[in-house]
Amino acid sequence: MTLAQKGKVRVITGNSAAAYGAMLCRPDVATSYPITPMSEVAEQLSTFRSNGLTDTEMVEVEGENSAMNVVLGASMAGGRVFTATSSWGLSFMYDAVQHASGYRAPIVMVIANRESPGILAVSGGQQDIISVRDTGWIQVIVEEGQEILDMVIMAFRLAEDYDIQLPVMVNYDGFYLSYMATAVEIPEQRDVDQFLSVLKQQPRRQTLEPGRALGCGTHGIDLGFVELRYRQCMAMERVTTKLDDIDREFSEYFGRSYGGQIEEYRTDGAEIIIVTSGGAAGTTRVVVDSKREEGIKVGLVKLRLFRPFPRKRLAEVLKGRKAIGVIDRSVGFGWNSGPMYMELRAITPEIGIIPMLSYIDGLANLDITIPHIERVVDEVHNAAQGKPYQEVTWIPLEE
Amino acid sequence: MSIKHNPIFPCEGAWSDGNGHLLCLDTGSWRVDRPILDKQGCNYCGLCALYCPPQCLKDMGDHFEPDLDFCKGCGICARECPRKVISMVPEGEFDDISSKGKS
Amino acid sequence: MVQEKKRKLKVFDYFYEAEEQFSGGLAWCAGCTLELAARFVPKVLGKDIILVGCPGCSAPVFYGQNRGAWHRMAYFSSLMTGVASSATGISRYYRKIGKDVTVVCFTGDGCSADIGFQPLSGAAERNEKIIYITYDNEGYMNTGYQRSSTTPLGASTSTTPVGTASQGKLTPAKNVPLLMAMHGAVYAATATLSHLEDFAKKLQKAKEKVHEGFVYIHIFAPCVMGWRFATDQSIEVCRMAVRTNYFPLWEAEDGKFSLNLEVANPKPIQEFIKLVRKFSHMQEADITGFQQMVDQRYAIIKKLCEVIK
Repeated sequence: MTLAQKGKVRVITGNSAAAYGAMLCRPDVATSYPITPMSEVAEQLSTFRSNGLTDTEMVEVEGENSAMNVVLGASMAGGRVFTATSSWGLSFMYDAVQHASGYRAPIVMVIANRESPGILAVSGGQQDIISVRDTGWIQVIVEEGQEILDMVIMAFRLAEDYDIQLPVMVNYDGFYLSYMATAVEIPEQRDVDQFLSVLKQQPRRQTLEPGRALGCGTHGIDLGFVELRYRQCMAMERVTTKLDDIDREFSEYFGRSYGGQIEEYRTDGAEIIIVTSGGAAGTTRVVVDSKREEGIKVGLVKLRLFRPFPRKRLAEVLKGRKAIGVIDRSVGFGWNSGPMYMELRAITPEIGIIPMLSYIDGLANLDITIPHIERVVDEVHNAAQGKPYQEVTWIPLEE
Repeated sequence: MSIKHNPIFPCEGAWSDGNGHLLCLDTGSWRVDRPILDKQGCNYCGLCALYCPPQCLKDMGDHFEPDLDFCKGCGICARECPRKVISMVPEGEFDDISSKGKS
Repeated sequence: MVQEKKRKLKVFDYFYEAEEQFSGGLAWCAGCTLELAARFVPKVLGKDIILVGCPGCSAPVFYGQNRGAWHRMAYFSSLMTGVASSATGISRYYRKIGKDVTVVCFTGDGCSADIGFQPLSGAAERNEKIIYITYDNEGYMNTGYQRSSTTPLGASTSTTPVGTASQGKLTPAKNVPLLMAMHGAVYAATATLSHLEDFAKKLQKAKEKVHEGFVYIHIFAPCVMGWRFATDQSIEVCRMAVRTNYFPLWEAEDGKFSLNLEVANPKPIQEFIKLVRKFSHMQEADITGFQQMVDQRYAIIKKLCEVIK
């Protein structure tokens, strides 16, 4: 029994779901510069506006850098803001992305993930997520259309929370989720208003006040700088539990839960765990079921929160397992392995030294298929039994 | 871990506050030459006050006088005075110490 | 004995706010035209403006230091790449909630003409309701007098120095105010610190016109340190720039150009060049070329004034 009314179910693309989610939250100002595969988000928002479904100020900016700067200015003036981009656009707005988190602007941005510049690619991959992991933004990765819409609503709730005041990136697989149409339940406007209304009861964050001598973006000098940086990190720290709380609130209200920081699937009694994110998690569930039938005690951890890294919850769920396999849809230069794998290795002190295997797959729209994941499970299972294993495997190159 | 010093910022984010006391530099101490007015010749036109970059020429009712706490000694007032009644005199020729904070 | 009490030049009539909004002691060079311009702007536009600035010569004063501030106005410190765009966001938000707030961008030519030109162009094309003021000191002065795209042809800067193989900047300057007028700004104008009444009128006009759309004001602001002239010459350099037609004072309201001051007998460009040591290496041939360029640029403005009556 949920508090919210059942919403209308529409068959819409992931991009469209993002736009619906944003519209329901009534942003004051929104921008978007088109880039494959998310141009539809901007188009959809503009269509809503031209049909009178929203009074959001849409600014048709001339580039992604401006897209971020416009919403940053509007946010610091006190507005609720939204923008969307992907890979190359994200790179172009990089300076403004850093600026936004330092200014503690509660911006919500959806990113349809695509391969970042360096090798020209008009195809999906998570390299863009990785390219901005140290910008101080909250990063969440979702798996399917309904989750996109729901997470956008939760993102506003999270970003604007007085204890947080940090911008949020909601990431979904470009080309897969962005273009795929699925049945999505669109909540009623008044239910979303009600869900977000708790923010109005909180203290107001500092914003520009015309006529009052308050300056946004002062120089940080010596201890002042350190203090600001520290406060930003402490706010990031609070995000972990806050996201779990918000997921619970959302579940009580709308009847859908996603687990908060991570989602566990059949981890009870699992000897080996596969960690992955995004749409690949859906495919992995199918493999977990079939492998369980074969008697392999495998479970899935879907990584939803990437920044801040959910180290506590991961340590809890991974402790006591025999081996872990991580499927990354991107590359971590530095260790030349998957980046999520690299970060998971950092919690070894909490979980003990066990075999951890890195799998790089799904680059440039190459599918992460059931046979790929079956291979991952088999190899991780073998590693758990003490058999030799390869630390890093680039699956497409070994087919 | 907690911050040991008294927090510098009262809220999240890098906000400065100009509502109380403003920051101020001792720019009077930069000065090498001081503007001296020959009051007899002044016709109170106000051009010196208008063109002074730090806007430190004070209206004395029938002439203008530099606020020596902030006058940087650029000499624009002397140069722009249509009657040429302001001269820039080296600071060394004066006994008083003009800068803020000194006796 | 005082012959005649002349008081209150007309320019004071344009002051909306006579009270000084800045602290007394600011870190601008002695004789700095930017200091004069910055202190002047809130006197005409009022102190309730939201200032948007970026790194440059204005930043050490416009931005605070930790909690402390050098002035009493609300400000937003932007990246150099985001001035016109963040100002857009601020302006759009206030208009959406029905608040009449004047957003004023105040940057150097380094931002307007170069690193921040793209968002400036975008904001102008979208006719955003902001006032964008550029103080043009013809270079990246705060970082050490490097050349910008408004540095004139032949000028010596730290990145276009005078040496044996080349002498000064090899390309002419961009005509930024003209570019902005061509974007269809509802009001675009040039101004300088020697003609303060003209500057005040233009700021007042800006305050009205910003309710209709994009306003651009380009201030000629010579730099004592970068251009190398004596601190007391600042106003004279501005005045000579106008008298030689190097920097004509014009405005374009809704696309209609007009010259605010038609200099009857423009002085030869040498009169300007000799005041400023960044040109001291120029030979006669260079000066002749410079004069031609000045005449040509002035002719374009003159012609534009005739195009729409």
